[in-house]
Amino acid sequence: MKHKEEGWGWMLAVDFFFAGMGGGMLLIAGIADFLLGEGNTSVLGNFLGAFCIAIGACFLILELGRPLQAWRVFMNPRAILTFGAWTMTIAIGAGLIYASFGLKMLPWSDWVILRKLMALGCIVTGLIVATYPGVLLGRHKSRPFWNGPGMIVLFLFSSLVTGGAAHILSAAILPAYYPGGLSGLPLMVALLLGFQLIFWVGYLWVKISGTTEREAKAARKWLKGNFSGKFIYGFLLIGTLLPLVLLLFPGTGVIALGAFLALLGGLLMRLLVVYSGEDRTWLPGEECYRARLPLGTEEFLKAWNTK
Amino acid sequence: MARYALVIDSRRCIGCHSCTVACRVHNDLPIDMIYNPVTTVGPTGVFPNVHMVHIPLLCMHCANPPCVDACPSAASQQRPDGIVWVDEKKCVGCKACVMACPYGARIPNHEKGTVQKCDFCKERIDEGLRPHCVETCHQKARIFGDLDDENSEVYKLVHGEHSIRLLKELGTDPYVFYIYGWEV
Amino acid sequence: MKKVDLEQEGIEIKKACCYFCHQNCGVLVYVKDGKIIHFEGDPDHPTNTGGLCCRGNVNLIHLDHPARVNYPLKRKGERGAGEWERISWDQALDEIAAKLAAIRDQFGSEAVATAGGTQRTDDWARRRFMNLFGSPNGFHNSHLCWIPTFMVETAIYGWCPFEIDLGLSRCIVLWGQNPGASTMPEMSAISLLKSQGLKVIVIDPRYTETAAKADLWLPLRPGSDLALALAWLHVIIYEGLCDYTFIEENCVGFDELTLHVEQYTPEWAAPLTWLTPDQIREGARMYAMNRPGNIQWGVAVDQLGKPAGSAMHARALLRAITGNLDCPGADLLTGPSPDFITDEEMELNEYLPEEQRAKQIGSDRYKLVTWPGYSRIAELTKKYWGKAPTAEWMCEAHPPSVFKAILSQEPYPVKALLVSATNPVNSYGESKQVLEALRTVDFLVTCDYWLTPTAMLSDYVLPIAGSFERPTITSTYGCSDFLLTSQRAIQPMYERRTDFEFWRDLGLKLGQGEHWPWETLEDAYLSRIEPLGYGVESYDEFVEYYRYHFPEREYYKYKEKGGFATPSGKIELYSSTLKELGYSPLPEYIPPVENEIDNPELAEEYPLVLTTGGGVMPFHHSEHFQIKELRFLRHEPYMEINPATAAKLSIEDGDWVWIETKRGRIKQKANLTEGIRPGVVYTQRGWWYPERDMRDPELGGCLESNTNVLTSVADEDCDPLSGTWANKGLLCRVYKAYDSDRKEDN
Ligand SMILES: Nc1nc2c(c(=O)[nH]1)N[C@H]1C(S)=C(S)[C@@H](COP(=O)(O)OP(=O)(O)OC[C@H]3O[C@@H](n4cnc5c(=O)[nH]c(N)nc54)[C@H](O)[C@@H]3O)O[C@H]1N2
Ligand SMILES: Nc1nc2c(c(=O)[nH]1)N[C@H]1C(S)=C(S)[C@@H](COP(=O)(O)OP(=O)(O)OC[C@H]3O[C@@H](n4cnc5c(=O)[nH]c(N)nc54)[C@H](O)[C@@H]3O)O[C@H]1N2
Ligand code: SF4
Ligand code: SF4
Ligand code: SF4
Ligand code: SF4
Ligand code: SF4
Ligand SMILES: [Mo]
Repeated sequence: MKHKEEGWGWMLAVDFFFAGMGGGMLLIAGIADFLLGEGNTSVLGNFLGAFCIAIGACFLILELGRPLQAWRVFMNPRAILTFGAWTMTIAIGAGLIYASFGLKMLPWSDWVILRKLMALGCIVTGLIVATYPGVLLGRHKSRPFWNGPGMIVLFLFSSLVTGGAAHILSAAILPAYYPGGLSGLPLMVALLLGFQLIFWVGYLWVKISGTTEREAKAARKWLKGNFSGKFIYGFLLIGTLLPLVLLLFPGTGVIALGAFLALLGGLLMRLLVVYSGEDRTWLPGEECYRARLPLGTEEFLKAWNTK
Repeated sequence: MARYALVIDSRRCIGCHSCTVACRVHNDLPIDMIYNPVTTVGPTGVFPNVHMVHIPLLCMHCANPPCVDACPSAASQQRPDGIVWVDEKKCVGCKACVMACPYGARIPNHEKGTVQKCDFCKERIDEGLRPHCVETCHQKARIFGDLDDENSEVYKLVHGEHSIRLLKELGTDPYVFYIYGWEV
Repeated sequence: MKKVDLEQEGIEIKKACCYFCHQNCGVLVYVKDGKIIHFEGDPDHPTNTGGLCCRGNVNLIHLDHPARVNYPLKRKGERGAGEWERISWDQALDEIAAKLAAIRDQFGSEAVATAGGTQRTDDWARRRFMNLFGSPNGFHNSHLCWIPTFMVETAIYGWCPFEIDLGLSRCIVLWGQNPGASTMPEMSAISLLKSQGLKVIVIDPRYTETAAKADLWLPLRPGSDLALALAWLHVIIYEGLCDYTFIEENCVGFDELTLHVEQYTPEWAAPLTWLTPDQIREGARMYAMNRPGNIQWGVAVDQLGKPAGSAMHARALLRAITGNLDCPGADLLTGPSPDFITDEEMELNEYLPEEQRAKQIGSDRYKLVTWPGYSRIAELTKKYWGKAPTAEWMCEAHPPSVFKAILSQEPYPVKALLVSATNPVNSYGESKQVLEALRTVDFLVTCDYWLTPTAMLSDYVLPIAGSFERPTITSTYGCSDFLLTSQRAIQPMYERRTDFEFWRDLGLKLGQGEHWPWETLEDAYLSRIEPLGYGVESYDEFVEYYRYHFPEREYYKYKEKGGFATPSGKIELYSSTLKELGYSPLPEYIPPVENEIDNPELAEEYPLVLTTGGGVMPFHHSEHFQIKELRFLRHEPYMEINPATAAKLSIEDGDWVWIETKRGRIKQKANLTEGIRPGVVYTQRGWWYPERDMRDPELGGCLESNTNVLTSVADEDCDPLSGTWANKGLLCRVYKAYDSDRKEDN
């Protein structure tokens, strides 16, 4: 049934996409630093991580009804959104400082302790930024598709996939100092894509079979309803399976294509997930009531406006 | 301290939408904004063995309001008497509360960029009056009062009749109670 | 929220009323410096006790809506072109008076007709004007709305028992009435009493807001009420459930009735009503065995067309044989008020000469609600009660015949039509014919709030003062023994005037000066309530301090008055008055105007049974479609159809569909509901689209979804007693409307 819905729009999905990707990039860069030492990720990638989060934040601000009042989102410590806003801010800071160690002309480029501290900061905040959309959405008890801890895993995986893919692409443009260090990244992303595939199938399966009728109904839309085409062909095939295969091939071009497709898949998934939130647990009779309200374009709404 | 609640007696409600209009007119709401829809369930069953009930909705003034928890600007607040309201000055229009509210009680105002909702007509309450939607109900299907007061009509109805709360299982602890003649 | 300080200095609280239906709910209006700053339902008003419905809440929006007519308008261009010149009231009245005088001189006063609508205006003033002018051709669509019931019941019991003593009742039959959408204050009382044990029976083809609360719902075939009423008579009489003492003491003709209804068994009625014999028996028993009880008037029975009069008759007899009349808890025969001046006494009916009465259109065929029947009944009631029913309602030209006369000049030309408080294209039967008549009539004047399709076709449109801009007396079409009064909250805005002023000022221009002594409506009202003896100086003072007058309730008036206002002084189960007028003294069975048994070929082509109308919130007939706050709630018309029937026609919920009868077709959206029997269709009434082009021929899409395109006013479909036409129990077909034919003309 069609009717006007008033929820989050595409800009929030784009925020989730960029922030998640950025978070994933910081996380990967930080871990790489700890495990392999400095210079294993592209400096471009390191900067992009922080930038992506910042771009995400911009979209978040644009999604607000009153963007100029954006500073107020820091005000309620109990709100996840506030928590996310703080974390994103810190992550941007940590990410930028960490990335700056790659610019050797800067005086602090050999302050190892600070670098390690920032890498740690990137790991912690990157992890949070990568997962928090999942936490945010999963807590919505009346949004049957989101509700539950599953969203956390799905977002974490997708953030890691997109973060990894972004690192691959960054390295293709501006190689890392020690390009060999992360040569396994395509394989790792391919593995993550494989897990992502399994988790999505599992997520839908659990929703459809195990839980309430409302959740089952919401999940069935992904396989049969208006989401199914975009989900199955767009996300599962082109955004997950195809890049998985491509990433297993040698050759920078093919791998870069795979990484790019994985990014598209990540974006598509976020759009679909955010829009699936429109599906509230309807109260008795509510759906029919709303379906019969005007959509806003009707003639009578435009008449008699001036005296 | 009072704890305000609304009891809706579906045995008396005829789905006339007068409460919807009274709220909209007296609260000066934009034309496409409805704080308190009235839905119709049914006729369910098969002719001629059918049932029908009308369900007036509005903010449930939950004791455990997810909308308040979700609000990053602290614009959404709950008063000690239970009334959940939005301080428009502080609202940034992030719609976190819109998504968090299980009852569809929050509506974005696209002109202002903020989110609005039923505030139990708190200015009227503070003056000792009843909400507009309650006042206008010809059928006396909406009963407003203080649930902490054992002599109030709402107290007697909530404790004396079989009343239910919508989506109670979500743990929001709503303070709008419904009395049905039969199960929905 | 708009915050208004109601304590500020200079605020006056006026006791006004809402005027958007005839409930006239009490409203407190806060006025400062002639401006309304706030209003709310009056908690002390007996009708609404503080409540207001959707429409009541939009009073201020209605008051100053941008589409309101605020100045007298004179047509400039072609008829219907929508070009107007703003003129003064004086010019308008001068020119209208001159035109009417010219028509009178050339064609006789009867060539001037007036059309009215739902009773919410001072129609005694219109009657007074018409009587003094000399025309018998005033009419309303009240034929569809209680008036025939009033007259049939008065013929039988000497007054219409419309006042119900619900507090003490044990059973109420809501016969073709849906108070849950139409008379909400009444519904409130019913719900309360039901919780205390009142039995509620709803006779309605639809599962309405009211049926949903009933103890027994009888979903009869639309238009088959007469068969049901006759079968109830049969059950009650043949199962010995009558009140024999009451019958013995107060009724004549019981034996004739007993014999007459022997044939009308529940088994006979079952295939006609589509109810089971058990359902029919259960209803009859519930009513007869839970005494005292009430049968509440519902508008549906007035709209059956040919069987209407007989159905009202049979229904009326049910009260009599169960003794449910004028006793505590039953339907009360209060009679008119002996205390205040009634509407009829304001009408100057004695001024209309006999030869003009005889010219009343339709009075040759439909005798009960025209001068022949009215004079007889007025004579009887005057003798008994000292007063007669309001003539402006109970004695009217036959509306469809007037429209036909405009078109055919038969029986004589009708050249002018003054329309006040009605939107005829929407509310009268066979809209296409009504529209043609409006286009054809030589001179058309409309008094309204809005530029309705009728106003658009008019030569003059006069701006009328609305709900808070005038005082009101509410007294059930002038026939109750009580009255409720309300004040004017503010003087009319812009150049609006009341209907009373229109008729009075027009009368003055036509030399009726000596008969219009009151300068203001308040003065006229004061003269009406003065005899009550409250000793008030002004009408406003009465409203301020008393507001209403309810005489002490007296039961069994007939005992002390020595019988009933009928020729025999008894309740005439065998009606001598009807017989005298040439009608059957007992209710004969007449089938629904179109039905599958008598018209099988028609039923082949139009296989579904149709009922048109039944009020829906938030609209009042064709009103309030401009008020966005209301329109938003129901912005499109919906017809009702059972899912099984819809499935056969490949119709899904929300599809636009055509509904078609022999007379035309309209479009509404399909609401698939189990609340209606398979094979039955209901359409909403009142629909037009004022947001569209209002010029002729578009006229706001006034035929597109208008249910009265489907109804029948053919002489053979009208009730022989009253002339009421057929809105219920018609045959139709329904099919999907595709986008391509959405804009097509009907
Ligand atoms: N098919 C079908 N037809 C029906 C019915 C049905 O159920 N089915 N119902 C019938 C019934 S019960 C009725 S009462 C009629 C109603 O028929 P109408 O009375 O014609 O109905 P409304 O649409 O209310 O039209 C009233 C018009 O008068 C204007 N108006 C309102 N108040 C005043 C006033 O005080 N003064 C003046 N001058 N104008 C005023 C309004 O703006 C509106 O244009 O329709 C009847 N027609
Ligand atoms: N909201 C709203 N309220 C109104 C009005 C309005 O237009 N809108 N109009 C006012 C006026 S003027 C009037 S007269 C009153 C009328 O008020 P009511 O007397 O309640 O009349 P309706 O609502 O026209 O119709 C009552 C019921 O008759 C049913 N019905 C249809 N066909 C048949 C039939 O063949 N037999 C039987 N037994 N029932 C049938 C319909 O389904 C409907 O539910 O309402 C007044 N109040
Ligand atoms: S005003 Fe009262 S009866 Fe009407 S819909 Fe609202 S709650 Fe129900
Ligand atoms: S109903 Fe919604 S808006 Fe109202 S308190 Fe509960 S969660 Fe908040
Ligand atoms: S939209 Fe306004 S009230 Fe709602 S959560 Fe955001 S800031 Fe708070
Ligand atoms: S309590 Fe006030 S704000 Fe809330 S729905 Fe009722 S009228 Fe509207
Ligand atoms: S329209 Fe509503 S508020 Fe106005 S008089 Fe009728 S019932 Fe009362
Ligand atoms: Mo009516």
